[in-house]
Amino acid sequence: MSKFYEGMAEIFEVDPSRITPEFALDSAEAQWDSLALVSTIALVDDCYNVMLDGSALAACTTIADIEALIAQAAKG
Amino acid sequence: MNGGREAKVAGARIAGLVSCLPREQVDNAGFAERFGQAAVDEVVKMIGVQSRRRVAPGATTRDLCRAAGARLLEGLGWPLDSVDAVIFVSQTPDYRLPASACALQADLALPPGCIAFDVNLGCSGYPYGLWLAQGMVAGGAARRVLLAVGDTVSRIVDPQDRATAMLFGDAGTVTAIEADPDGEAYFILGSDGRGAANLIVPEGGFRAHVAGADPRLDGRDPAALYMDGGEIFNFTLRSVPPLVARTFEHAGVPPEEHDAYLFHQANLFMLKHLAKKSKLPPEKVPFNIDRYGNTSSASIPLLMTTDLAEALRGGARRLAMFGFGVGYSWASASLSVGPLPICETIEA
Repeated sequence: MSKFYEGMAEIFEVDPSRITPEFALDSAEAQWDSLALVSTIALVDDCYNVMLDGSALAACTTIADIEALIAQAAKG
Repeated sequence: MNGGREAKVAGARIAGLVSCLPREQVDNAGFAERFGQAAVDEVVKMIGVQSRRRVAPGATTRDLCRAAGARLLEGLGWPLDSVDAVIFVSQTPDYRLPASACALQADLALPPGCIAFDVNLGCSGYPYGLWLAQGMVAGGAARRVLLAVGDTVSRIVDPQDRATAMLFGDAGTVTAIEADPDGEAYFILGSDGRGAANLIVPEGGFRAHVAGADPRLDGRDPAALYMDGGEIFNFTLRSVPPLVARTFEHAGVPPEEHDAYLFHQANLFMLKHLAKKSKLPPEKVPFNIDRYGNTSSASIPLLMTTDLAEALRGGARRLAMFGFGVGYSWASASLSVGPLPICETIEA
């Protein structure tokens, strides 16, 4: 389990085993609200030393989308 | 981003400080009635504010600073005619004109002929004000300066806007600065006005507010404080960690030789993240946002009188200060403070 996945589980208050690339950010068990967004920006900054753009992050619908954004930001 | 100007000021020191809090305490229960418990819990989880102080209707920052200044002068035993300047740093002055500093000069019975002026800065206001006041002393324009710093943001928030109504608290502080040949302070000061619209009271100055020009303001009272929390958060995460690192470098004093790192009390989540990101030991990063909210320009001096009073009365402490936010504007300081004959919090 990566530190990033653990952190996402904490943000959504779900069991860490639930977090997979397919995990839906806005669903019955998770809310992709402003609190989750800023928490994720801080978490990604912590884990990867990368600053994500807020609006691009808001448009993500799965964990895989966030990972793609991280990969892109790390390159840029 | 250009991280700001570096400045060193030699020849002045902090001689004492007093903070003044309004007596009325506002806890979260009233907000739960207004916004619902779940919404309040969510906001509190982020900002960490359990309680804040609010001025009585009609009371202003100047009133808090008057009380703090009177107590400070009494505690220091400074003759009134030895004070050559009073600076008022605030975004909640009494009037559009005249400057509240002029009124404070009369309030405190300081001698006519005293230098007095206002500075319009918020979150970055304390280190900015220290730089200005210490520079005035070092440059010989004044022997002793009173630096009044505070805000009463409760007077400009929309009570229905939970993002700001729950976050901010009121406080006024006055710091005494005087000549000292051994005094030495290091500052970094900067601004980036491209962020001006992200934390703003759009109406009330002399520029007409144009409805519809910024869709984020639609349906809001333009005379109330607007904050784009996400943008402010991004600005802070981007700019503060490099500011912290550069401050230690500029002062030539490594982080571990500082006794405390005083961050503007922006919100608890952000503070914890900034401390972690800058690898600062949490026990040296005090916070009082839980008790007093985000007190804008007053948050750093208030921390000194609420959480460091005993330490600063007891001996010399090396402090680092970091103010950042509205403007955007930021400023940091690294200096030795204490022992102070007076460092206390009063209520009025």
